[in-house]
Amino acid sequence: MTNSSTQAADVARERLRDAMVRLAAGDSNALEEIYNATHVKLFGICFRILGDRKEAEDALQDVYVNLWQRADRYDPTRASPISWLATFARNRAVDRLRTGKVRGGAVPVEEANPLPDQAPLADAMLVDAEKSAQVHTCLSTLDDSVREHIRGAFFDGFTYAQMAEAADVPLGTMKSWIRRGLQKLRACLEAGEAA
Amino acid sequence: MSNADNTPLADGERDDPMIAGEWALGVLEGEELLNARAKAANDPSFAALKQWWDARLAPLTDEVAGMEPSADLWPRIKAEVESLANGSGAQVIDLQSRLRRWQWTAGITSVAAAVLATLMVLGPGTEPGALPSPTQTPQLAAADPLVAQVPIGDTGLRLDVTYVPETEQLLVGAIGLTADGVHDHELWLVRPDGEGVQSLGVIVPGEVRAVDLGDDVIGNMGDGVQVLLSREPLGGKPEGVDPGPIVAEGVLSEV
Repeated sequence: MTNSSTQAADVARERLRDAMVRLAAGDSNALEEIYNATHVKLFGICFRILGDRKEAEDALQDVYVNLWQRADRYDPTRASPISWLATFARNRAVDRLRTGKVRGGAVPVEEANPLPDQAPLADAMLVDAEKSAQVHTCLSTLDDSVREHIRGAFFDGFTYAQMAEAADVPLGTMKSWIRRGLQKLRACLEAGEAA
Repeated sequence: MSNADNTPLADGERDDPMIAGEWALGVLEGEELLNARAKAANDPSFAALKQWWDARLAPLTDEVAGMEPSADLWPRIKAEVESLANGSGAQVIDLQSRLRRWQWTAGITSVAAAVLATLMVLGPGTEPGALPSPTQTPQLAAADPLVAQVPIGDTGLRLDVTYVPETEQLLVGAIGLTADGVHDHELWLVRPDGEGVQSLGVIVPGEVRAVDLGDDVIGNMGDGVQVLLSREPLGGKPEGVDPGPIVAEGVLSEV
């Protein structure tokens, strides 16, 4: 990333952080600003998990209304605003998947994974490039199948039971794979931060 | 594959960072999920572990291609926010017709409907002076009543849970349920932000009870919010321990 694009990213992040703080202070106009800056990314996330446009739109509506209701939950000193919003949207979409309102698993396992790594996206400049690189580096140290299952859980909201069935292994085996994977991932992420 | 990847790692062998990782990844379910949420609500160090994972996994979402939702989504969001901000003013007018509609929905008992009818007549929302001003800080209550059915196992019995925004009360109908004399059951709201659970009180078998809710709970009431029923010692969950096993669950939805 060049210096000028780094600066542009910093400015975009700060602007979003500022809008989040204003929203928490009761400025409802800030919501539109946040929506404009983030809805393409957040809708992509909701759609990826729910696999249905209407469900994803309902989830996204829920995300922004909830954000407006409880903007004070965002702590500007702790998290990057887009990371926080992306996590929030993903959690809401997964919750929706789990409550059984949605058929779920709309994207078949085989089609779920082959997204290009680190595809350049419009909203990507809001994201912390350093942290992004690190999680990708650390995931790449995992065994292929474990990595794909971790990605399946993250991107498609698959449960242990669904992944065990898809991989045709006992539930306990799948749990152990993922848990060992998380263990390695954590060690790698921590090592990266200590360096 | 290395040998380590195949070594079994049982539920009991997990440390907190790993449980937080499973939670952040989204693979915890049911009772484990509830326990994790409850723990995060009571234990800041566990909540911090979850945030640690969230912050590190979030960049993965960059791989998801962005998509443009329908053009009418923003107007819908704006309208919902405005209607919430303007409080219940316009709602009172059509309460009567909605009440008829609620009575047709399975999620509400006739007893609860009768209570609602009373509230509609006597409730503070019917007095113009009592309406919240549009300029107040974000109004947290949802505009429409929310109902959830919580079926109790395969007994055919169920809890009827109705949240009435006008009165900020929760009506919990436990008709047909009987106490076993050894346990109580406690109802929980699962916070939509994933930051834990909030108690909605201990169930009183055989009755419809109206429970006044605090602002911290009201702020989390909304369409799609999950409620859980746990089995506890008499008197409800003791201080400082995790909630008991989940015996039933339901989802609040607008009627």
